[in-house]
Amino acid sequence: MSQTSAIDQLTAHVQHHFVDSDQQFESAKMGMWVFLVTEILFFGGLFAAYIVYRAWYPDLYIMASEQLDTFWGGVNTVVLIGSSLTVAMAIRSAQLNQQKGIVINLLITIALAFVFMVIKYFEYSHKFELGIFPGAYYTFEGIDHPQANIFFSIYYMMTGLHGVHVIVGIGLMVWLLVKARKGVFHSNYYTPVEITGLYWHLVDIIWIFLFPLLYLID
Amino acid sequence: MATEETARIKKLQVQRYKPEENPKVHFLNAEKGIWSWLTTIDHKRIGIMYLASIAVFFFIGGMLAILLRTELLTPAQNFVDANTYNQIFTLHGAIMIFFFLIPSVPAALGNLILPLQLGCKDVAFPRLNLASYYIYVIGALFTLTAIFTGGLDTGWTFYTPYSSTTSGSNVLLMTLGIFILGFSSILTGLNFIVTIHKLRAPGLTWSKLPLFQWSLYATSIIQVLATPVLAITLLLLTMERALSIGIFDPNLGGDPVLYQHFFWFYSHPAVYIMIVPGFGVISEIISTFSKKTIFGYWAIALSSLAIAFIGFLVWGHHMFTAGQSSLANMVFSFLTFLVGIPTGIKIFNWLATMYKGSIDMKTPMLYAMVFLFLFTIGGFTGIMLGALSVDIHVHDTYYVVAHFHYVMMGGMVMAFLGGLHYWWPKMFGKMYSEYWAKISCAIIFIGFNMTFLPQFVMGSQGMPRRYYNYIDQFQPFHQFSTIGSYVLGIGFFIMFGYLLHSLLRGKKATANPWGSRALEWQVSSPAPQHNFEHTPVIINGPYDYHKPMSEFQLGIAGSHNGHGSDADISQTNKEQAADKAK
Amino acid sequence: MSGHHISSAKFLWGVGISLLILTIITVGVAFIEIPSPWNIVVAIAIALVKASIVAAFFMNLYWDSRFNLLLLVVGILFFILLIGITLMDTLYRTDPLPSF
Repeated sequence: MSQTSAIDQLTAHVQHHFVDSDQQFESAKMGMWVFLVTEILFFGGLFAAYIVYRAWYPDLYIMASEQLDTFWGGVNTVVLIGSSLTVAMAIRSAQLNQQKGIVINLLITIALAFVFMVIKYFEYSHKFELGIFPGAYYTFEGIDHPQANIFFSIYYMMTGLHGVHVIVGIGLMVWLLVKARKGVFHSNYYTPVEITGLYWHLVDIIWIFLFPLLYLID
Repeated sequence: MATEETARIKKLQVQRYKPEENPKVHFLNAEKGIWSWLTTIDHKRIGIMYLASIAVFFFIGGMLAILLRTELLTPAQNFVDANTYNQIFTLHGAIMIFFFLIPSVPAALGNLILPLQLGCKDVAFPRLNLASYYIYVIGALFTLTAIFTGGLDTGWTFYTPYSSTTSGSNVLLMTLGIFILGFSSILTGLNFIVTIHKLRAPGLTWSKLPLFQWSLYATSIIQVLATPVLAITLLLLTMERALSIGIFDPNLGGDPVLYQHFFWFYSHPAVYIMIVPGFGVISEIISTFSKKTIFGYWAIALSSLAIAFIGFLVWGHHMFTAGQSSLANMVFSFLTFLVGIPTGIKIFNWLATMYKGSIDMKTPMLYAMVFLFLFTIGGFTGIMLGALSVDIHVHDTYYVVAHFHYVMMGGMVMAFLGGLHYWWPKMFGKMYSEYWAKISCAIIFIGFNMTFLPQFVMGSQGMPRRYYNYIDQFQPFHQFSTIGSYVLGIGFFIMFGYLLHSLLRGKKATANPWGSRALEWQVSSPAPQHNFEHTPVIINGPYDYHKPMSEFQLGIAGSHNGHGSDADISQTNKEQAADKAK
Repeated sequence: MSGHHISSAKFLWGVGISLLILTIITVGVAFIEIPSPWNIVVAIAIALVKASIVAAFFMNLYWDSRFNLLLLVVGILFFILLIGITLMDTLYRTDPLPSF
């Protein structure tokens, strides 16, 4: 009797249209990869705008990039890479049935994501103080180029959209944390952790490209 | 009848399961009450909800078209002023494209039929499927709000800088509405891709996949790759309008042609989202009603993928006169000629399928014939538009309007109607009046040609599109076209009439009224709630009309995922012994 | 569950540290004077290496079904098409019609 109920517990998550847990897991992973492809194309439009304008106004990009603090951009890169590491560790904990490991690693990931957003907040507010606003509200005099507002419009769009994705990631991981503390995840079922991890790694990858393209234009 | 699976370790218990005729319980009445519909995760119910929604939007878009054409009866103002006219054609285009055509076959028919044809119980992510539908509804609500609070007069293409600066209409709300709607399209595509890869029934290899599935697969690829670029374009447009970020506005140092690049990177593949599922429907209909295996299966399957790919390379043919570089113009023109080839391959294969077949000219087949004729005209004129020297003269004229109506309406809508009439018995368990259906089809065909054939002539003589008034020489064409649109409307009203009658008082349908070999016809009509009580087993292709129907009604005994319980095995042994004794 | 690759903690930390080192290299290279456009090429190349490491070893593509890798490759391919073909217009705007 207890044996069947133990098996039922392990397979309770399998939905009615799937044959077994493996099919469900593999389908969820494939679905998340398809979604990540859409994210690549979504950000791709912004990268396209960046490249088109950089090809037209290379000097503008060099001048404007000096307003971006390379140090804090680098710190943010390290922070995000660290958070990728910890979310990978969280998945590993789930695979090994270590509930405490899942919780701690998720907590650190969320904390690092918060650090990223705080640094972003200071970066943005520093720019606002200088009058570097997007679009029509741009009043900064420090860059001698008529299209200066365009560089910063692209900067705000790219980092802003990325920031929105970080916030969504934080929300997802808080939800995961709540479930992990209830013991929902175990070595037979950790699909939400796995696919949220995939999403988070893509957010990291996008930043890996944003950092040199925006901050390191010498 | 029991079959051994030699390559695998375990034996499968396979028996013949004939569909139940006129079932008492099916997916429409298994759960009752409106809440069960609003919270359903059954793909069939979601498909019905999509079907109802797109019918409503088709009606709204159609009414706007009638208004348009009535205004164009005379060059002077009839009953709307110029600004209102601009709003009418903008909304007609936006509603027809985003709220009717894009979801029509994939979301409505696809949701209903895809899992049934694949032999699975539902799509891979049923809750996501329901979410897709609600996202569609929310996007629609945003759009309707935009219509009633300022309207929209930019044309469905939202070209900058008019849409980002001067237009007094509610561009912001509309672009947000379509942004939201885009996610419905993306998530449906995602769902279909994973379902086709992961949830096929045992024995359903890629070489036995019905061509409708191939077309849905190609469409889903386009949806997943192109729609995000529309999303970012609309987001940038919204920022442009709200914050004047300047990347599309020449006054602020931006480039309006860049907007057109981003917009058409989605919107050209979007027209393939609209037509490729229709191609799949036509394959199913022609094969079924010719009682013949499809000719050139792999040619049709792979050409769907080819169209999906090449379709991404030709978007600049919408921008030949916009100010692109000459190099871009020439490359796009060349690639546009290429994209016609896979489509042509399909047309020839369909004709070859019909050759020496046993043609049964029922309503779906009639629509398929209409499709072949009208779409060929539309396709040819598209190639003509792809020639730079021709396009210089006819860009932004009624020639373009006629071309895209021939492909989108003469092609896609006819294919959709064919699919609707083909799968109607499966969805509702009722037949419709063949007599009235054929009359309606004839009226629609006549009305359609009356409306749009003159527009080719008008356009080549210089009548610009989206124009509120015109010079006198075009009036006869406009008037003929308007009368045609009224005839078209009558055809659709008749269709609404007999379909409603079918729902309320129609003759009950058998499980397989058309004698098709495809899997969705091997279950009862309407379909059972969970699609299949016993996992289907596929040993033949879906168009093998030379094999008896019994070979398409095979299933694995339901228990233990087909490995059979002792009772099943002993039953099979008994049957085998009985066969031997005979 | 079959087919679920579990990386060791040491391995994951190793991947993380290699990414940190590559980040330091990224910043370092930015301070070296490389003529344009090669400076962009080098920066993107390093970023590509980092992204590939994250995709292969954090996102487990190295051990995963090949189809997921195909999805990523196709996504990148279409991204390149978007940029490449757009540039074919924007880079050649003022060029005169090529003669044959």
